[in-house]
Amino acid sequence: MRLLCILCLQRFTAPAAESILRAMNAEGAGITKRQLGMILLVGGIIGFCAILAIDIVDVGREGGIGPAQTLALVAMALAALAGLALLPLGDAPA
Amino acid sequence: MTMPGMRLHRALMLCATIALLFACLVYITYAANLIAFPYDYDQGEGFELRDTALLSQFTLPYLDTETYPFYSSNYPPLFHMLAAPFVWFFGPAYWYGRLLGFAASLLIAAAVAHAVYRDGHQNRWIALLAGLAFLSSNFVYHIGPLFRQNIMMVAFETLAVVVLAKAFPRSDKRGITLALFFLLCAGYTKQLAAITALAAIIWMFLRGPRRALLCTLGFGLAGGLVFLWLNLASGGQWWTQAIVANVNDFLYDQAVGLFRLWFGLHGFLLVPALLLVVVEMYADRLSIYSIWFLATAALGGISAGTWGAGDSYLVTSIAAACILSGILFSRMLANAWRPSRILQALPLARIASVSLLLVPALYLGYARATLKMPTAGEFAPLAQLLGIERNVAFHTRQDEPDFYDSASWTAGGYARIGYFLTEADHAAGAQIVARIQQTDKPVLSEDAGFSIAAGRDVVTNPTQLRNLYLAGQFVGDELARMIEYQEFGLIILRAQFFPPHILEAMGQAYYHRETLFMNGFDYLLLFPRPGYEPRVAS
Repeated sequence: MRLLCILCLQRFTAPAAESILRAMNAEGAGITKRQLGMILLVGGIIGFCAILAIDIVDVGREGGIGPAQTLALVAMALAALAGLALLPLGDAPA
Repeated sequence: MTMPGMRLHRALMLCATIALLFACLVYITYAANLIAFPYDYDQGEGFELRDTALLSQFTLPYLDTETYPFYSSNYPPLFHMLAAPFVWFFGPAYWYGRLLGFAASLLIAAAVAHAVYRDGHQNRWIALLAGLAFLSSNFVYHIGPLFRQNIMMVAFETLAVVVLAKAFPRSDKRGITLALFFLLCAGYTKQLAAITALAAIIWMFLRGPRRALLCTLGFGLAGGLVFLWLNLASGGQWWTQAIVANVNDFLYDQAVGLFRLWFGLHGFLLVPALLLVVVEMYADRLSIYSIWFLATAALGGISAGTWGAGDSYLVTSIAAACILSGILFSRMLANAWRPSRILQALPLARIASVSLLLVPALYLGYARATLKMPTAGEFAPLAQLLGIERNVAFHTRQDEPDFYDSASWTAGGYARIGYFLTEADHAAGAQIVARIQQTDKPVLSEDAGFSIAAGRDVVTNPTQLRNLYLAGQFVGDELARMIEYQEFGLIILRAQFFPPHILEAMGQAYYHRETLFMNGFDYLLLFPRPGYEPRVAS
């Protein structure tokens, strides 16, 4: 199960990491809209899952998803959606 | 746009300028009123003055709170270092710290105007309105002329961002170094500047990841070395007092209340600012101002919800919003956009025409939304003319102060200040100082200003003791013993922020004999209880 989780996470993060490393190696080049989109999308999804996981990991917590947690979930979902909308903009500089 | 349309635009722009200049006039009058007041106005000013006095003697204010005078600071030292030379010439006083804060707020307004002029479309009038809009904010009005380090931090942050915005894309090494130096100064003025540092690093990373990495390494190294030196020089107290003691509880209602207030007061500029962020995100390149705005609004807003924080934590986001909205308005008026498929789909020429009326209308709406002014004295006829009545009240006196604040003092964490001080406040302060001078023993005062004015030791920093106590870093046996043995000739309380066992000891060994009302607060004067037998061994 743990291995499966790691593999799933890698599937998501590998393309983002690869494109960032490419940008790092290119002298003077900045991040593109697509790369920023990937970062926001992956970051949003991971953040969303991590916030939800608080209740799974910390089983003893009472009250379920609280108001602050709800706001954080909305923020992560918005980040992911904003990232998704950036993907079609391709190689335009971010 | 037709000639009558242009005339209407100019007339509305003139109205907006007059409205914002009036806000500026109220701000200057308030600053002058406050600078002349020789005691604490905002909770904590006296302790900033104490830090300044210590640094003027080349002593770090990060001290052991378990021994007399049980005092320590929880803020970085730069603001106090800037004020320290004044101590050499004028002794410890509030006026120069408040003057420095006020000057810093004017510097921010100038930097905002410069950024709008340079990075917008060289529209001088919009640049002027953007700078005035910053000074018109209720949050800025509150903290600008205080002897507090927050506004100086915002000044360094704004300078850093405005310099970096030009220097980084041009690979101007001198400019980048200067910007990072300002950023470092902001961080060592107040820890909250970490949010702006984060925003700057993210933006540099978007523009050039490799250069960003090098800049971040250099910046981190310089900041880390200063941190290490402070910790070594203070024998580890810097870490305990400025870092550990600054971790406070998060109050959800306070954060939400301040967010709502922030939006309610500044919405006329926040919405255009957010609009420019969206335009830059999808139809242009993201500017440092956009990342700065998003980071300081979100993270600054969350930080504002911690105990002891407040509206001042959102001031940086207001500077960013003033710049972004000013740039958007300049571009709308000039119809000057980068070529973009998305923007080409919009009726840009019509938007430019509409903006001739919309832009001044938004600034006028903003001036009304952020209106605050005295309703008595010289301002009374104008208040009557505008139909403005006092809408705020002190905790213990519902018929005071004569002041109108559009923020209405309802949100938790919103500083209930801004009213003008009266002769009665000066007289009450002098009365408290006279009570201190009646005893030869040390005096424990929750506001440091009275002890400083009386030439006595500043004993304790109550909020710091409270925070240390909650973090398990303050025992307070020696302080409790001194209270038990009535070694203080007088105790002056204002908000009773001390740890519970210290307050309990005060309640046992001292009795409340007198209340003096000053500056919107009841100051409780506690005197040694006659015939009291100490409960602990000496």
